Amino acid sequence: MVYAILFLPLLGSILAGLFNKQIGDKTSQILTSTFIVIGACLSILILLRTIEHAEVLQYPIFDFVNSGSLKLHWSIYVDSLTAVMLVVVNSVSALVHIYSIGYMSHDPHKPRFFAYLSLFTFAMLSLITADNFLQMFFGWEGVGVASYLLIGFWFHKESANNASIKAFIVNRVGDFGLLIAMFLIFSTFGTLNFHDVFIHAAEFSKKTIHIFGEEFNLITVICLFLFMGAMGKSAQIILHTWLPDAMEGPTPVSALIHAATMVTAGVFLVVRCSPLFEYSKDALNVVAFVGATTAIFAATIAIVQTDIKRIIAYSTCSQLGYMFFAAGMGAYNVAIFHLFTHAFFKALLFLGAGSVIHGFHDEQDINHMGGVWKKLPFTYVLMIIGTLALTGFPLFAGFYSKDAIIESAFFSKSFFSGYAFVIGILTAFITAIYSWRLIYKTFHGKYNNTHMDISKVHESGLVMLIPLILLSLGAVFSGYLFHNIYLGEESTKFWGTSIFFLEKMKEQEVPEWLTILTPTLVISSIPISYYLFLGNNNVVKTIVDMNKPVHNFLVKKWYFDELYEYLFVNNAKRIGVFFWQKGDVGTIDAYGPDGISNSVKKIAGQASKFQSGYLYHYAFVILIGVALIVTVLMIL
Amino acid sequence: MVHALIFYVFSAIAILSAIMVISSKNTVHSVFFLILAFISVASLFIMIGAEFIGMILLIVYVGAVAVLFLFVVMMLEGNFKNVKHGFLQYLPFGAFIGAVVLFEIVIIIGAWKYKPNLIRVSSIPYNVSTTNTQSLGKLIYTDYILAFQLSGLILLVAMIGAILLTFNKRSDLKRQDIATQSSRERNDSIYLTDPESGKGVKVND
Amino acid sequence: MNLLIPEFALIISSLGLLMLGVFKKNSQKLINNFILVLLVILIGIIGVNYKDNQNFFNNTYSVDLLSNFMKITVLIAVIFTNLISSQYLRNQSLTRFEYSILILFSVVGMFTMISANNLIIFYLGLELQSLCLYILASINTTSVKSSEAGLKYFVLGSLSSGLLLYGCSLVYGFTGSTDYYVIANSFLTSGDALKFGLVFILCGIAFKISAVPFHMWAPDVYEGSPTSVTTFFAMAPKIAALAALIRFLHIPYANFYADWKAIIIVISIASMILSAVAAIGQNNIKRLMAFSSIGHIGFILAGLAVGTKQSLSAVLVYVFIYVLMNIGTFACIMCIHRKGAYFEKISDLSGLSKNHPVVAFSLSMLMFSLAGIPPLAGFFAKFYIISSIIEQKIYYLAVIGLISAVISAFYYLRVIKVIYFDQPVDNYDPVENIGIKFSLAVAIIFILFYFIQPSLLSNIADNVALNFK
Repeated sequence: MVYAILFLPLLGSILAGLFNKQIGDKTSQILTSTFIVIGACLSILILLRTIEHAEVLQYPIFDFVNSGSLKLHWSIYVDSLTAVMLVVVNSVSALVHIYSIGYMSHDPHKPRFFAYLSLFTFAMLSLITADNFLQMFFGWEGVGVASYLLIGFWFHKESANNASIKAFIVNRVGDFGLLIAMFLIFSTFGTLNFHDVFIHAAEFSKKTIHIFGEEFNLITVICLFLFMGAMGKSAQIILHTWLPDAMEGPTPVSALIHAATMVTAGVFLVVRCSPLFEYSKDALNVVAFVGATTAIFAATIAIVQTDIKRIIAYSTCSQLGYMFFAAGMGAYNVAIFHLFTHAFFKALLFLGAGSVIHGFHDEQDINHMGGVWKKLPFTYVLMIIGTLALTGFPLFAGFYSKDAIIESAFFSKSFFSGYAFVIGILTAFITAIYSWRLIYKTFHGKYNNTHMDISKVHESGLVMLIPLILLSLGAVFSGYLFHNIYLGEESTKFWGTSIFFLEKMKEQEVPEWLTILTPTLVISSIPISYYLFLGNNNVVKTIVDMNKPVHNFLVKKWYFDELYEYLFVNNAKRIGVFFWQKGDVGTIDAYGPDGISNSVKKIAGQASKFQSGYLYHYAFVILIGVALIVTVLMIL
Repeated sequence: MVHALIFYVFSAIAILSAIMVISSKNTVHSVFFLILAFISVASLFIMIGAEFIGMILLIVYVGAVAVLFLFVVMMLEGNFKNVKHGFLQYLPFGAFIGAVVLFEIVIIIGAWKYKPNLIRVSSIPYNVSTTNTQSLGKLIYTDYILAFQLSGLILLVAMIGAILLTFNKRSDLKRQDIATQSSRERNDSIYLTDPESGKGVKVND
Repeated sequence: MNLLIPEFALIISSLGLLMLGVFKKNSQKLINNFILVLLVILIGIIGVNYKDNQNFFNNTYSVDLLSNFMKITVLIAVIFTNLISSQYLRNQSLTRFEYSILILFSVVGMFTMISANNLIIFYLGLELQSLCLYILASINTTSVKSSEAGLKYFVLGSLSSGLLLYGCSLVYGFTGSTDYYVIANSFLTSGDALKFGLVFILCGIAFKISAVPFHMWAPDVYEGSPTSVTTFFAMAPKIAALAALIRFLHIPYANFYADWKAIIIVISIASMILSAVAAIGQNNIKRLMAFSSIGHIGFILAGLAVGTKQSLSAVLVYVFIYVLMNIGTFACIMCIHRKGAYFEKISDLSGLSKNHPVVAFSLSMLMFSLAGIPPLAGFFAKFYIISSIIEQKIYYLAVIGLISAVISAFYYLRVIKVIYFDQPVDNYDPVENIGIKFSLAVAIIFILFYFIQPSLLSNIADNVALNFK
């Protein structure tokens, strides 16, 4: 059963990718989707089984490397953490597959798209079912490649190509950290298997390592490098720049990869490595700080963006920040819970946005929309559900998980707990504001599109709406249904060994003002943003005019791209040009490859001439050889 | 004493004639020197009591191979003048290489003595009462059966090769085939016909 | 005696088939098919008794894990050579029954070499094998080149046999025996003089595996011989000679590790560098393969020079992968024909990607693999050797190996460049022969997907290396 979950997507991908000519567009779409749907159903079964009776299952595939002390095997490792992730990945992927049948109906390269999607799913599954770091790295790189291919799916669009390259390169920075972490782990523990590493973590917790003459705690260094990998994949501040640009890809891709699954791999990594992180307070502090900062940073940018997908992308970034700071507080289960609920409502929002874009015939700017809620009734309702869930409206999914995060920050004794707590509440408020801004600007107010008539705006087909409806069910109920299992009384039993706490989490009584504070803010944001963005446009205008620099700062996304351009890209180009012209062409090529290849060519000419074809030459060479070897032996 | 004298004489002849084989200008002479070298080596074999090998050497190499050589050389009558072309050019270097190897061999082997118990450890049973042929036969068909059979295979392969490479089936030659010739029936080649006048007979061959 | 069934079966059937071929007209197809079936069955027989080991004929013939591994490799090489070359032979009107029978005889010789535990038996096996090869090289009597190749090979081969025999006679003189075990025991008493025998015997074997400086025959013979014979040359005889070399170095000369290590390293370095450099100037793909094989032999020898169990296992893996890469490459070469005429120039491959995309892709993958580019099988072969060298801290050898691998990548990649970027000439005939298709598929699948489970082969090789001696 587990094998089927892992390999069906691969099979689908191969069939759709290599044999699409034989089986046709339609079949390859249906085939891949069916495979993933089967996988999703099986994953839900596994999760239910795990809830009933938590156990760790291991299914070997085969031995991979057996060289010296490095012994690795491919095997599928299923514990409760994996089970949760399986459900997230497979169900969202299945719905996105189905949705794409409608969304991509006008695209000429459908089989390729579905092959990539399935390939991505396979890579993501092998990431979460890995039982050692190398196999996880395989999946990690696999999702990177699939993401690269999918962002650049419309390869004729230059911006898409640039975005895909940017995503790839920024991710490489993170991967570099992950690789170093793996090297360190191997040199410390002598193994890369999760189980072996984690049970020995305590022994090495006091070990130090010398870097540039300073002593550092080894586990801290490993954890920081691991987190560097996580930052790249999960678009945390500093390495976040690729995520908004990645929206150049088709919208279903954004929903699947850049909202629900791949970007959460970083969170998964940190939680999976909780036995290591628990031994390093410093690393956890860094995680908390970076997460909290990202949360507020991305939220402030989202307020002023006008591209519907970019707003949701920054929102994703911000929510990932939430997950990280929850993990940094040591509340790993809360982080995963938020990951779980977030996957549903964020995928819902993205797919809803896709439906809007579809309805507007590829218009993405919210300033060019408005007043169409009657034309797109289903999309409108579903988007509202998604927004309620995202903002944490009471009883919707986000309410349970986000409040749990804020509470965990409140109770935590971590160095950054106060910082995180304040930011958590603030960000929740800003999130609500920009989410409602999105809704109002898109569906209410005047119809602002000059390119097409309002009558041409149309509701999407059933094949796109059904996945949305299913996701909205998740967005509404996933919090209520699962919060007891993930967070409540039974949580220790459910998580079992998959999450490690050095100190047991204590159930504490939440003060009343806290339970009221966030919901109040969230609910009050609805009229506030109505007033700001619909009721009276002048208010926003005055605020913007008054704070022009701040507004620009936000519109330009805190000038991160410009900073990188200035700091890295230009300098790298300059250094590159210098080394290319002076170093490479001038020195290395002249004396190195070109010089060597010239002399090699010359010698090669000599050597072929040496092969004269005369028998006695050959015989002579043999005798000389004998004489030489005898002489060598004599001298030695 | 006499034994040693004869040994040196035959050895000297063997070496000298070997040199002559490669240095003499006339190829026919070379073959004759080759025969002389074989004969002296055969004599050396007989001197150490290996009369079977000595005689075989005479019969096979001198009697058959060398004579065949002679025929081939005389019949080909080819231009062997150019064969030694370039010989002098490479002689100094070749001689140098040879000298080096020889020098090294002398150094190493010179420092070494035959093992005193060599005869006893050798696996060949040395028995004065049986003849050479007899003891050879006994060994070949018992202990050395594998080597003997393999040698047989080698000879077989050599024969196959010789036939394969030289036997050229030419389709343009008419050969006599006695079997078909004598088994020909009258009906195969003759048929009677009754031609109408003015039409003639059409011969179908 | 069960362990000798393969040898007996080979000898008896080759003699029987010879009779059949002589007395039954046009029986070459029957004979060829029979041989194929026989060889496949032999793999099964050897496989069944894979783990047994025993000595025969007064310790002159030993069947053990190493010999079984090498014999199976030889059989694989021969079977695929047959499959690949049937169409070529038909097109070149070389379909004579003697051809297959000579191959069968040479397999007998190779088996003898692989199992020989005695200098005499080793020499006889070598001669039996070589004699067949001489004939096969010149089997195309209508081609001057083929005859020239056969003659060159014969004369130089005789020279090297002479050297080898001289070495054997020295060893016999010093130890009084030709038995490997006896020689091994006499080493303590027999001093330095025996090194001399070692040198000459090594030279003789080095000629057979075409290691520098005994390689001069290889390019000419590879080019001149019919391609089917070249295919055969490139694989089977080298496996046998390597097996004999391994046994020779590790049993009688085990105590002289320091000496043969020096010799082998010299030969290995010379082979790797020369092949990398000289191959660049070649424009005939068969000559290119000759130099390529010299380079691979250099790598294998480098592994042998290390002398550990790990390196022995690496050598065995390398040999196996080398065989499969050659099967694939020659299968591709056999595809390059137009109306029955075959082409061997590298420039003839230009634009192959246009009219033979599958063959072009396969050939490129094979070239990548021969160059040792990950994650193809050829990379793993080189990787094992290099890592075993580094484990013994012979760094300079590893560095030279890597450098020569880099240089040699140049000429492999040049082939790919010609295939993909040069303008196509006329179309070549479509590939219809099922044997070629099958062989190519097997080789490509092996090479492309080896990385999925590299331990499968290396575990077998480890096992062989551990149980050797």
